[in-house]
Amino acid sequence: MTKHNITDQELDKRIAQLTTEMSPEKDLWVGVERAIANKEQHSASPTTAKRHIHLAWAASFVAAILLTWGLTMPSQQVQQTPIDLALMMEENFNTNKQLILASYGQTQGQTLSADMQKQLNELSSARATINNALKADPNNSDLLNLLRWTQQQELDLLQQIYSPQWQTI
Amino acid sequence: MDTEKVINAENLFMQDNEVEWITAAQQGDQQAFHQLYVRYHRRMYALCWRMLADKDSAEDVCQEVFVQLWQKISHFRGDSKFSTWLHSVATNTVLGHLRKQKNWLQKVFSIEDQGVEDAAVEMPELPELDKHIMRLPERARLVFVLFAVEGYRHEEIANMLGMAVGSSKSQYHRARSLLKEWVA
Repeated sequence: MTKHNITDQELDKRIAQLTTEMSPEKDLWVGVERAIANKEQHSASPTTAKRHIHLAWAASFVAAILLTWGLTMPSQQVQQTPIDLALMMEENFNTNKQLILASYGQTQGQTLSADMQKQLNELSSARATINNALKADPNNSDLLNLLRWTQQQELDLLQQIYSPQWQTI
Repeated sequence: MDTEKVINAENLFMQDNEVEWITAAQQGDQQAFHQLYVRYHRRMYALCWRMLADKDSAEDVCQEVFVQLWQKISHFRGDSKFSTWLHSVATNTVLGHLRKQKNWLQKVFSIEDQGVEDAAVEMPELPELDKHIMRLPERARLVFVLFAVEGYRHEEIANMLGMAVGSSKSQYHRARSLLKEWVA
């Protein structure tokens, strides 16, 4: 038996009869309310978060200036030895790290994915190795640069891990 | 006389609580916003379901529409009807969702989907035509819903979907042909 297509008029009639409303099976308002509350919480915090991030950048900038000054000053005028600089860089790094964690409302002990945790551990281990090497060779500017690079990598990774992600409802 | 009736109806509409709800919601009143949700969520849900052809996605995106609405309602200046403005927010949200869902292969090669053939089986509660609309290939379905159900012009649809006006028209023609064939 051959099936005949309906006419344009018949299709238009059916389109006109389409309902404009459909009821969802579940109450969607609960999710909307929760998402709005989350968004408001996030939008309220950026000022604080931004302030912390700016502070972190400012601290990094100051550290970079001090480091440059320390490395370029003639040796007889330098009050700090390179190992002091390494210590200062570590202190500054730890401050920045805490600022980043605090700005995203995180604690250092928070559970991370295995991959992220592995990367963080590797960077942390590399940093410890460089610090040990600096104790043995405190005048090695290459090691100081490597320490600075490793610290920055760790801070970048922390930013990447904790920066706000899109939240599904 | 008819014009008078229309004007009176519009005045009645303006006196309706909706204007107060919008103003209050713009000032952060969630209770008022909830009233707007109660009034419009079924309409938005229908739009999402028809465009997405998937009930679960429609629920998620419908929620997202109202989250977007909460964030954008302060931008509503009353230049158009609130429902018209809300429909544009919803349409953009749905299209944004679809863009995010496409995998890189579809994005790079603009692969056309094959439609949602099995969807009708899972939706016994829908009217027959709706079941067939949801079987349409994505582009044809989007154009059809936006043009025939939501009342957008082909120029607007082409702009929204990033296609030529001619493509919008041909997708609409394609959708109609398939529907005429499928509908008993």
